[in-house]
Amino acid sequence: MERVQSSYESQDEPFEIGKEMYRGQQYSQIYYARLRLMRTLLYSLVSQWKPNSPVCTVLGLEEGKECVVVGTLFKNMKLKPCILDEYSKERSVVPLVKPHNFVDDDDYLVLEDESGRVKLGGNIIVPSVYVTGIVVAIHGKETGAGDFLVQEVLEAGLPPQIEFPIKSREDRYVLLVSGLSIGSSKSNPLQFQLLVDHITGHLGDEKEQSIASQIVHVVIAGNSVEIPRGLLNGQNLASKDLSKMAEPVKELDILLNQIAAGLPLDIMPGPCDPANFSLPQQALHRCLFPGSSVYNTFRSCTNPHCFELDGIRFLGTSGQNVDDLDKYSEAKDKLDFMERTLRWRHLAPTAPNTLGCYPYTDRDPFFIQNCPHVYFVGNQEKYDTRVIKGSEGQSVRLICVPKFSENGVAVMLNLRDLECHTLSFGTQFSP
Amino acid sequence: MNKTNPRKRPAPPSQQPPTKQALAPEDEFVDEDVFLEETLISEDEESAILRDMEQRQALAARLSKWTRPRLSQDYTSQSCSILFQQLEIDYVIGESHKELLPNSSGPAAIIRIFGVSKEGHSVCCKVHGFEPYFYISCPPGMGPDDISHFHQTLEARMREANRNSNVGRFVRRVEMVQRRSIMYYQQIKSHPFLKIVVALPTMVASCRGILDRGIQLDGLGMKSFMTYESNVLFALRFMIDCSIVGGNWIEIPAGKYKKATKSLSYCQLEFDCLYSDLISHAPEGEYSKMAPFRILSFDIECAGRKGHFPEPTQDPVIQIANLVTLQGEDQPLIRNVMTLNTCSPIVGVDVMSFDKEEEVLLAWRDFIREVDPDIIIGYNICKFDLPYLIERAAALKIAEFPILGRIRNSRVRVKDTTFSSRQYGTRESKEISIEGRVQFDLFQVMQRDYKLSSYSLNSVSAHFLSEQKEDVHHSIISDLQNGNAETRRRLAVYCLKDAYLPQRLLDKLMFVYNYVEMARVTGVPISFLLSRGQSIKVLSQLLRKAKQKNLVIPNAKQAGSEQGTFEGATVLEARAGFYEKPIATLDFASLYPSIMMAYNLCYCTLVTPENARNLNIPPESVYKTPSGETFVKSNLQKGILPEILEELLAARKRAKADLKEAKDPLVKAVLDGRQLALKISANSVYGFTGATIGQLPCLEISSSVTSYGRQMIEHTKKLVEDKFTTTNGYEHNAEVIYGDTDSVMVQFGVSAVEEAMNLGREAAEYISGTFIKPIKLEFEKIYYPYLLISKKRYAGLFWTKPDTFDKMDTKGIETVRRDNCLLVKNLVTDCLHKILIDRDVPGAVQYVKNAISDLLMNRMDLSLLVITKGLTKTGDDYEVKTAHVELAERMRKRDAATAPNVGDRVPYVIIKAAKGAKAYEKSEDPIYVLENNIPIDPQYYLENQISKPILRIFEPILKNASKELLHGSHTRSISISTPSNSGIMKFAKKQFTCIGCKALLSNGDRTLCSHCKGREAELYCKTVAQVSDLEILFGRLWTQCQECQGSLHQDVLCTSRDCPIFYRRKKAQKDMAEARVQLDRWNF
Repeated sequence: MERVQSSYESQDEPFEIGKEMYRGQQYSQIYYARLRLMRTLLYSLVSQWKPNSPVCTVLGLEEGKECVVVGTLFKNMKLKPCILDEYSKERSVVPLVKPHNFVDDDDYLVLEDESGRVKLGGNIIVPSVYVTGIVVAIHGKETGAGDFLVQEVLEAGLPPQIEFPIKSREDRYVLLVSGLSIGSSKSNPLQFQLLVDHITGHLGDEKEQSIASQIVHVVIAGNSVEIPRGLLNGQNLASKDLSKMAEPVKELDILLNQIAAGLPLDIMPGPCDPANFSLPQQALHRCLFPGSSVYNTFRSCTNPHCFELDGIRFLGTSGQNVDDLDKYSEAKDKLDFMERTLRWRHLAPTAPNTLGCYPYTDRDPFFIQNCPHVYFVGNQEKYDTRVIKGSEGQSVRLICVPKFSENGVAVMLNLRDLECHTLSFGTQFSP
Repeated sequence: MNKTNPRKRPAPPSQQPPTKQALAPEDEFVDEDVFLEETLISEDEESAILRDMEQRQALAARLSKWTRPRLSQDYTSQSCSILFQQLEIDYVIGESHKELLPNSSGPAAIIRIFGVSKEGHSVCCKVHGFEPYFYISCPPGMGPDDISHFHQTLEARMREANRNSNVGRFVRRVEMVQRRSIMYYQQIKSHPFLKIVVALPTMVASCRGILDRGIQLDGLGMKSFMTYESNVLFALRFMIDCSIVGGNWIEIPAGKYKKATKSLSYCQLEFDCLYSDLISHAPEGEYSKMAPFRILSFDIECAGRKGHFPEPTQDPVIQIANLVTLQGEDQPLIRNVMTLNTCSPIVGVDVMSFDKEEEVLLAWRDFIREVDPDIIIGYNICKFDLPYLIERAAALKIAEFPILGRIRNSRVRVKDTTFSSRQYGTRESKEISIEGRVQFDLFQVMQRDYKLSSYSLNSVSAHFLSEQKEDVHHSIISDLQNGNAETRRRLAVYCLKDAYLPQRLLDKLMFVYNYVEMARVTGVPISFLLSRGQSIKVLSQLLRKAKQKNLVIPNAKQAGSEQGTFEGATVLEARAGFYEKPIATLDFASLYPSIMMAYNLCYCTLVTPENARNLNIPPESVYKTPSGETFVKSNLQKGILPEILEELLAARKRAKADLKEAKDPLVKAVLDGRQLALKISANSVYGFTGATIGQLPCLEISSSVTSYGRQMIEHTKKLVEDKFTTTNGYEHNAEVIYGDTDSVMVQFGVSAVEEAMNLGREAAEYISGTFIKPIKLEFEKIYYPYLLISKKRYAGLFWTKPDTFDKMDTKGIETVRRDNCLLVKNLVTDCLHKILIDRDVPGAVQYVKNAISDLLMNRMDLSLLVITKGLTKTGDDYEVKTAHVELAERMRKRDAATAPNVGDRVPYVIIKAAKGAKAYEKSEDPIYVLENNIPIDPQYYLENQISKPILRIFEPILKNASKELLHGSHTRSISISTPSNSGIMKFAKKQFTCIGCKALLSNGDRTLCSHCKGREAELYCKTVAQVSDLEILFGRLWTQCQECQGSLHQDVLCTSRDCPIFYRRKKAQKDMAEARVQLDRWNF
């Protein structure tokens, strides 16, 4: 049986740090760049949204005058963990168990631009939905107390989308998987081997093999290995420990070797991988994969990762952006968070505030210029998917890719119609 | 207190020659007569100001919206009585009031009471007819004729001493009255005394001088007199005689006051009245409330030159931020900032920009006049902001600027003062009196009331408000000022924050309530609380009480050293150890006050040895104290001090009971402030009697108090150990392991907290029964477990209920000492936490070992190693060379602009230096250390900082603690960074070494040697993990600083060295850059 082929084009370039260096720059510049980008965009929308309202800056506000202001939101949170707490006088009283979510009823939003800040009032804008770092346009007026009474909020909305390629008849699948966590106590090596065997067509009957042959691409969305961090507490390691540390990576290389021999494979770094921490995470170094990296089908990618497959645009992260939103805001499910990031046109609004990020000086790579067709996020608790529609006919498939090591589930996406289903690899029979 | 007024005055109608006092001790009270006409500026000048005002019409219109509420009809028609809360009382010398006092003429003291009515009107009440006086004891056999003769003689002597005075009569009257001295028990109830009434308050002192030296009297010869109550400040004398206490409400009935024909003040209600017509309301019920006074908090910014701290003669004032709050409201009424040169607007703030500095200053003056604040607060305003403004105005020759008080056209008075006290040392400063407005400098309050490691506004607000404040170094301020409207706005926001924080502190720490209540309880004006010592508060209460009893207080300045010192409080020997059974603590409730009450210890109950022989007092009517003094019991003479104490404690009980009932948060605040003030006052009475350079020291009392205290502690120990024994049917023998001044720690031997509590209660009750009332032993808390290190040093978990502990309590352990680095504090706290709460001694040991290893391996966060000391004088003035002074000198040579100045705190770390270098040569600026990779000296930290405190904790627990903790295998590996600027490094050639094995690389290899090539995956993992850790840190640190500065879009400028993350932030930035370079080497 022959494997179906697809055309692939990487669009990771904006996420590559390249020659950028830490030269003492601070985070103000990335906010500034973001605000500038978003303001141009929002101003173009404001003329239709509130044609009669004047547009002004935070400084230009006058008491009682209705107007539109564009600015970056800042959420004041009393529960937000603070590095200064490490130094507070009653260190020992701080509970060691940190809450999962830092949202509190007392949180409030502030709108900021280069000129200044103003506290947002009224009940139109709900603090629990928003996070620091989003740029929005707000219609309202300043009250006597110096607050800005919000009457309406305008978000940028879904970005423009390239046309969906003409539908082909044949099924072609992309396999999305994340959280292999090789080396952790939870991971079961057999499970992943089963997956590899399935993909490469070493498993099942002819029917299954024919489906397997329709897989054109595999994306591994982060946390492929788990390196015992305890070994890395800055202590000098004995060489024995050092080699123990690289053990899971070696194992991963062997498995990836098998996939890459058969079909194209993208691997993205995640928070547990041997990569840098700040977003955008740079591609895992090739020296980690001496076996797989010899294949030209093996691609080590950045996180976030963006590519086009047969003209279908994919955008995905290893999960940090959504996990961080989950800590600092509330929604009914993870897909909601994903949808919000698209509507805010920003992949990771909480970076750099609560999510580590490189201090860019002249751009903001997380600004979403083009609407993807498929938007996936790795390392989630459970599989979930939904299609959202934009006002200009955009249609986006959102996918939460679950942690493979925990429930043995991988996601199959059909490129024909962007429908999804899961592949489940249980190695234990549930009673 | 030298009377030097830098401003030119018209030739003063001089009083007596000014008495020069080189160094006034803390509690020297001196009245100073201020002649009304002197302080006023001349008519010409006044018209110049008025003209000036017209030119600034626009500004005046802008300011006028902030004026006080308008007077109602009742006030303008003078048909209602005037009721107001007074905040400030002073006096001036003026012509006596012809209508109110038709019989007097010439200069007289006029009391001025400033305050606020409940509608928020400002009040200036001028009180006439109160005259200064004092007493002397009447020589025996003096009749009415002799008195008039004495009067004439005294008058003549006074005239001689004050030759060029225009006062008609110096000694107004000499009256014979019946009084008794407060000193010593006397059987005769009263003696004749002479009350000498003089014309002006300062004459009390000059008259006292004459009488002290002695005067020639017919028939009696040369005689010197002991004076009584001649050291009472005039304003206080007035308050005592009219039963006015600080901050209470005063009423003047309708018809009893006369509106001034020409108003002299800016107050809305200004009137004259007689002192006998005042009604003073005790602060109870309705009258315990606070009037809506206006509190102004302000801060100024000056543009200093590079390398110099701003000086008023050269550097301009560029911004003044103001915040006005009505007492009792959460939100400020006014927020504004006055800037030199343009400034972009700020939301919610009125920004007023001016082109000339002169206009800024005058605008501020007009603002003060228009807003008319009652209290002016700020941070270090008394030492910096106010003197700076005034000196700056003088430098710019703006004569009309310093009219900031409430008296029309009266300039503020500036005095050089020297404040010296045993606690604070000698300080020279300028005292600025702004008539009618209370200055409340939060900086002084903090220094007085709290022991902190640093008193910078930043660290104080971090401590109390848990809010870091960004700190802009004064060298940056000029750059911001010279930028554009945006950068000046940046500065203005910073300046506003500095004005806002003092107000927040004031609110948070309830200073208004606490200080007003303290003034009410002790009866002194509010301004005394900050500007004077402790003893005037006790003296005020003593004088009030004595007046009721017809007693007078001698002005006895004893040279304290004569009487020698007495034995202080004792402590039972501490049986050091780690106690894992509950330790019950039995406390004496207000021990010293109770002793004074129980044994009737007072000036007026003390029996001198001589009197003891003569007076023939029955032995059952006296107490013989353990220190050998004799005091009569209360059936013969009730002591005044015990009476004061009883009232204070009863009032406190009442306040606490009311506090429980109270619902209204404002009422609660008042009551809580009151009970606190009462407690502090009760405890300070003992100190007053023991202060050897104080107003009325009486060591017989204080030494008796402590001797009783010692006796009681011993007595308690004995009783506990006698009663709670197995022979008496208890399970275990009780053991007293430690006793402090007023508490005893008992180990009853039981292992359940609840059982120990019951035994503790039983013991307290049993032992209390053996004491004279009101001495009472109370069971308060259990320590379990308890680590007793030595006397006054212990730690333990604090239990007041049997199911869970309340907190961890430590005494005398290095958690707060200021000259330790943070590492010590953290280490000690964490160890105690592990030992006491987690009960994990091995864990604590491991923790210390890890920390020591981190230190030796150069992995310690530098901010933990920073030691801070205040620079109080320049290098030459120090006799011994010290680390921080030497460093300040060195930094000055490097860059004078950022070097610390006198008054700054100097942070430093100890670095490795050449062998034999002196300790003071090894100090270095932490920033410099970071930038140049200078190795720190871990041995210094190990030996001089960590070792003692740690060993103290572990010695009771661990055998061989020192060997185990400080010399174990974890101390073997040491890593020292290579300085990047040392001499030798300039000649070293940089060559890549293998990341894996540090072998030199050749043949174009950039990362690994051929030997390590096979391990590249693992070595890469290690490098990238380091980068990743640093990235986490970098992100958290820098975003926190953005949060503090309150802006996302602007760069962080803060250089606050008090901020715990300042050095870490700098280090993270530098390490990050280095780690990235390292990582990039892999991209081959």
